[in-house]
Amino acid sequence: MEKSLVIKPEKCTGCRTCELICSFKHTQETNPMRSRISVFCFEKVGFSTPIVCQQCSKPACMEICPVNAISKSEETGAMIVDDIKCIKCKMCTVACPFGATIYDPVLDVVAKCDLCYGDPQCVKYCPSKAITYQAADEAHILRRKSFAEKFRGFYEEVNK
Amino acid sequence: MKMIIDGRGIYGIPGETILEAAKRAGISIPTLCHHPAFPGQGRCRLCLVEVNRKGVKRVVASCTYPLLEEGEEGEEMEVKTSTPEIEEIRKDIVMLLYKQAPASKLMQDLFRQYRCAENSLRENSGEKCILCNLCARACEEMGTGAISLVMRGTEKRLATPFDEASPDCIGCGACAAICPTGAIEMKDDKESQKRHIWHQHFDLVPCARCGELFATKKQLDFIARREGKSYETSYYCEACRKKHTAKTIADFRRRRE
Repeated sequence: MEKSLVIKPEKCTGCRTCELICSFKHTQETNPMRSRISVFCFEKVGFSTPIVCQQCSKPACMEICPVNAISKSEETGAMIVDDIKCIKCKMCTVACPFGATIYDPVLDVVAKCDLCYGDPQCVKYCPSKAITYQAADEAHILRRKSFAEKFRGFYEEVNK
Repeated sequence: MKMIIDGRGIYGIPGETILEAAKRAGISIPTLCHHPAFPGQGRCRLCLVEVNRKGVKRVVASCTYPLLEEGEEGEEMEVKTSTPEIEEIRKDIVMLLYKQAPASKLMQDLFRQYRCAENSLRENSGEKCILCNLCARACEEMGTGAISLVMRGTEKRLATPFDEASPDCIGCGACAAICPTGAIEMKDDKESQKRHIWHQHFDLVPCARCGELFATKKQLDFIARREGKSYETSYYCEACRKKHTAKTIADFRRRRE
């Protein structure tokens, strides 16, 4: 069964280890600016959460790509960008509703979470286990769907 | 089908070209107009190779030469990517392309690298475009199709219809990004918040949160039209869109508590 990143914001301490290891894994540089995962802390309300690609079931990045350089990996279910085929039009970075697809000007590639091809480093190094890589069972999917439904209602309300 | 490229036995998949088979095997063939997204243009002719089939030698463009099914012409095919004859032809091609686009840094470097001799052929001074057509292909594939090759012979060039501002152009800059010689000028002016490309000034949209100019207005409209929905969050840049999502989650949790 396909596994996915499960994020528990209540466990996130905002240490940003995931950002460092992500950029190190993909760019051999510990530079949070080039990380595919970003942590946001709201000190006043005592809340922090990492934001990363959701590997959507209807991915906007994949749909907008004019040359079909983004495809769903059969192994991990992640959307993978074919750097060689990509023409760097950057439409996917604009189309992603979460801003999880970014352009890396140093490597001249479009960077997004590729689940480290089945071995996500952020999961490995997260000290508080706020990010886990789990296979989703039926009950889990239902729970997520009901949460997503509630969240959508809220999201539409605040974005009116 | 089985073939031998530079002495190495390789199995080619029927339908792919010699160039693709060679690339897969890690054999490099120089190219200019080839891009994996738009293969088989056969414009620059730099990828010429020598093919030996049934004892007949031919020089072909490897990016357009397809491999056939086994048994159709069953026998082995021998390909040489570099012979003195091929190198001589490549040198001439580089020289001619340099004369077409002497202002391009890439062609200047290739001209030196191939040790081409200076000659009296007229230079197309100031030109950077080698007419590889990649920009027009990219534009067409984007679904905009605002630029194409116009005129014939020595007057051939890349342009918008009638050299005017095209209503189809969305100012995405895909053409400038794919151009191998940097011939397409794209300028973003931060002060007036305009992008200048192809005789047009496009409005750049500032991020509603941080003010970074991240896309043109027409680009956002294009995406909204393509997806058939409105994109209110897209008026944030990538970084702020992430932050916006995080903030919404934070607010959502607070309300539930």
